[in-house]
Amino acid sequence: MCNKKQAGSVHAELEEKLQQAGGATPTAPEYTFYYVSHGGPADPFWALVTKGAQDAAELLNVKVVYSAPEEFSIHALVNLLNSAIAARPNGIILTITDYKALDQPARSAISQGIPVIAVNIPDPRPEDERIPYMSYVGQNEYDAGYYLAKYLIDKGYKPKRVVIGDHQLGNAAHAMRSRGITDAIKKVYPDVPVEVLDITSEPAKAAEAFKSYLTAHPETDVIYTLGLLGSHPALQVLREMKLVGKVHLLTTNIDYVVLNAIEAGELDAAVSQQPYAQGFLPVVFMYLYVKYGIVPPPHVPTGPTIVDKTRLETVKRQIATTGGA
Amino acid sequence: MASENRTFLISFVSRHPEIGVLASFLSIALIFIIRVPDRFLTLPTLYSILTLAGGLGVASLGVAFLMIAGEFNLSISLVYAVVPMGVVFMVDLWRVDMLLASVTMLAVAFGIGVLVGYITIKTGIPSFITSLGMMMFLRGILLAVTGGFPVRLEEDHWFTFVLNGPVGELGLRTGAFWLLLLTIIFAFTLDWTPYGNWTYSVGANANTARELGVSVTKVKLINFGLSSLLAGLAGLMALSRFKVVDPTLGQGLELETITSAVLGGCLLAGGYGSIIGTFLGAFLIAMTNVGLVLAEAPPYWYRAFIGIILIIATIINLFIVRRYVTGG
Repeated sequence: MCNKKQAGSVHAELEEKLQQAGGATPTAPEYTFYYVSHGGPADPFWALVTKGAQDAAELLNVKVVYSAPEEFSIHALVNLLNSAIAARPNGIILTITDYKALDQPARSAISQGIPVIAVNIPDPRPEDERIPYMSYVGQNEYDAGYYLAKYLIDKGYKPKRVVIGDHQLGNAAHAMRSRGITDAIKKVYPDVPVEVLDITSEPAKAAEAFKSYLTAHPETDVIYTLGLLGSHPALQVLREMKLVGKVHLLTTNIDYVVLNAIEAGELDAAVSQQPYAQGFLPVVFMYLYVKYGIVPPPHVPTGPTIVDKTRLETVKRQIATTGGA
Repeated sequence: MASENRTFLISFVSRHPEIGVLASFLSIALIFIIRVPDRFLTLPTLYSILTLAGGLGVASLGVAFLMIAGEFNLSISLVYAVVPMGVVFMVDLWRVDMLLASVTMLAVAFGIGVLVGYITIKTGIPSFITSLGMMMFLRGILLAVTGGFPVRLEEDHWFTFVLNGPVGELGLRTGAFWLLLLTIIFAFTLDWTPYGNWTYSVGANANTARELGVSVTKVKLINFGLSSLLAGLAGLMALSRFKVVDPTLGQGLELETITSAVLGGCLLAGGYGSIIGTFLGAFLIAMTNVGLVLAEAPPYWYRAFIGIILIIATIINLFIVRRYVTGG
């Protein structure tokens, strides 16, 4: 009886929300959530995350304040988290980019009664040691690399030499992806060399770094990149050196350029971790928790999804509606 | 006899600030030649270095010229991204011809530079701060307009070939010729024309220059504009090759161009420097980038290496300036 009544009131409220979303006069946001991340809005990946979070906020009539350092900086991230805590929001969504640096402020937020949901990068420590956030929404970075590398191996391909172009050396998530790639290859072919190359986020430098590497190691036949800032210049280099089809290119993250390259057969496959969902879902989970006390599951995976020629049509729809995948 | 030699040496070295970078350049090159002669001494490697030096070098020339006039322009790294972004918007959305779009955006770039200079001169705020503010402002505009997404140049245009197209099969690009051509023009302007003299004098001592009848404001404004214009041109060279502009394009370029200029013998205080040296500075950075990969250096070491080279080259420059120029 009691449950039914609750369900009824939930239903009524949802209807009210839907009306608001449908264009009725907007009311003041019900809750304020801070989305604190290491990814500045200039990174295409984070532009999608931001869009997802804002879309969810609009739908639910909550306010989401997205704050991120303009350039990758753990120190700045910690400062932003502290500012977010000082603002006493109803919830904080946080990338655990560096669990050591974020440990103290994140715990302090939780002890002050601010619920925290981790997103994009989890605290890698065992459960009893890690920051006691409610849930982690995102992919396992190691898995993303692992399945991307496994994709090629499963097709029966044996690489001669593999290079991983890292455009943000020092980012823990990138390091985990690289390790996933390396492990997947070494597990089957322990003798195949797998190397990480510092390509920087400047396209001209990335291109010449790849070129020099291919010159120094002409037997290289597989390139992995860890994001759009790696896949764009890598594609260009393969075209310029006429190595399309001879050198396999696989990447994490997707946009139109990558999609077209998959269609044209210049790029084998890309792995998506659904950045839009990483913006959207934590806001929904935070809302459900704050409003109704629904505790989210400890891990909500958003990837990895492998995208190759067979999945192009579905992904195109996604990109047309959200701007990327 | 010995003292005559010394006088000659003093005047020679003081007139050639690029001596320091030449020494660093040759020693680094020697290391690579010894380490990987078969890979390093090839045409594709030279072209690779020239291509990489192209964009960086073109932007560095303007920065060096402005530094000699005693000012900084940190906003060039954003102009480097804003100009190609603007061109892509004009070409893709409004179907403007790429040449027209490029000329328009380069004019805008020149205007942005002059504006930074104007604010600097009128308020007396150091250009380090005014241009830093402009850099942040432009980053904001760029993000607001693009929403953080990369933009793509849809169609191929002959102008992209002129700016940075492939020449032959070995990796040479037209961007290398732009760098060489502009280096010659700016080196000539700096050392052989009255305008170059004004630039030196404005940077060395603005008051003295003013007393000698040089229009300090005009010289500085033009140099601000040129630094911005050249950064825009470098940005167009990047666009012409990759056909994609990521909103992060150019991050860190403001400091890397200053690095080229300082390596090349320019003093942070102004009044002293070299265009040939700056060209060598950009070439040295590009060569280190390419060479370290060819030499199979661990990827984590590149930045450390550049840091050491910068400090050593600066020490050499400082030594030369103290000993021969200021006579201390």
